[in-house]
Amino acid sequence: MTTTTAPGSTRIELDINGVAADVRAGLSTTLLTVLRDELHLTAAKRGCNQGVCGACTVEIDGVPMRSCLSLAHGCVERPVRTLEGLVETPRIQALQRAFAASGAFQCGFCTPGMLVAAHALLAADPAPDEAAIRRALSGNLCRCTGYARIVAAVQDAATALAAGGAAS
Amino acid sequence: MSAVPQGMLWPRTVDEATAMLAADPDARPLSGGATLVAMMNARVLEPLALVNLSRIDELRGIHGEADGGVRIGAFTRHAETAACALLRGPANVVRQAASKIANATVRNMGTIGGSISFADPGLDYPPALVAAGASIEIAGTAGRRRVAAADFFVDWYTTALEPGEIVTAVLLAGTRAGGAAYVKHARVAGDYATASAAVCIDAAGPVRAAIGSCGPTPVRDDDADVLLSADRSDAAIARAAALLDALADPLDDVRGSAGYRRLLIPRLLLRAVRRAEASTDA
Repeated sequence: MTTTTAPGSTRIELDINGVAADVRAGLSTTLLTVLRDELHLTAAKRGCNQGVCGACTVEIDGVPMRSCLSLAHGCVERPVRTLEGLVETPRIQALQRAFAASGAFQCGFCTPGMLVAAHALLAADPAPDEAAIRRALSGNLCRCTGYARIVAAVQDAATALAAGGAAS
Repeated sequence: MSAVPQGMLWPRTVDEATAMLAADPDARPLSGGATLVAMMNARVLEPLALVNLSRIDELRGIHGEADGGVRIGAFTRHAETAACALLRGPANVVRQAASKIANATVRNMGTIGGSISFADPGLDYPPALVAAGASIEIAGTAGRRRVAAADFFVDWYTTALEPGEIVTAVLLAGTRAGGAAYVKHARVAGDYATASAAVCIDAAGPVRAAIGSCGPTPVRDDDADVLLSADRSDAAIARAAALLDALADPLDDVRGSAGYRRLLIPRLLLRAVRRAEASTDA
């Protein structure tokens, strides 16, 4: 597979999902390119590559950011968590169950970014109302669903987490 | 040819950063990346060296000054500015503008210094900083200087920054009692403004207004401010809007026609004045 790694790339060590990853990256290589093309962590999607669509959302320093707007060299010494690194958390598991139960996707391209953004929302606000959910997900575009089931799924996940007493 | 460092450079002080930029005219300062990396992805820019400002302690955080003013470090991300309780009274307009930028994820990345250095006329900070009477602190190898926000924004994507200079802070004068409002009209949440209005009302009387996204730089007018400071009736606001409209130079673009933007000016100004009057921390 041809990668978009720029010529003149150098080795850097990144902290991806708690594991030290030794990767090659040029100055203009984004974290998203490293995740997908070097490390084959393909949950984060390359949608617009301009920071608009949210499909590439990952956590950097514990907060959701755009991996397409983050240069790999700028992520040295900053912990990165992708959806792959979050799947064992009760919050992501509750969100995944609720998304599946609600049918909160069609093509699924936006779903990983939605899950990471919703994970951050529920961490900050365990009982968000609909307006808070829509605000939190307003940077994640979905071209299929019309959002209604996504919003409902996040509410269902919050309810399930509250009922289960899960906190993580 | 002297060997100029390439790749990602990590200055720890402002002096180190400005020296690096002076040594290599092609190096670019990198702040939050929300704009610069998008331009690199689009191949508009392909710098060989980036001066990463993220590890310069002085540029981080929002601090209350002894005189009651507020200093917003250039590397302060929009999310932090949007949540900062120090920004009250007329200065609250900056907090409101921060909360309207793009979306929550981008607000976790972008910084005030990076945003205003880009100086896209559709951005939220420029009219807010002009209405707030903010000044911009700039550093270069020759030292520091301060420029009023109204003079910092010079033209389309053009600021008062000289090559090699960076923004180090946004400074707001001593906190006064009063109110503020930033009203943004956009096609969808997260888009650039089609047009916006920022109004700051000082409890002692003075009112300052600025219109965003209706010309190369924020539109403001001394006579409009004098008028609003004396009289905030609907008729006076309409007259002030007409003065601002006369100075506006809006574009026809995908976000709206120039004529549509001119229709927005009086409506957004009226809304902003009324919201500023009603703002609870006035």
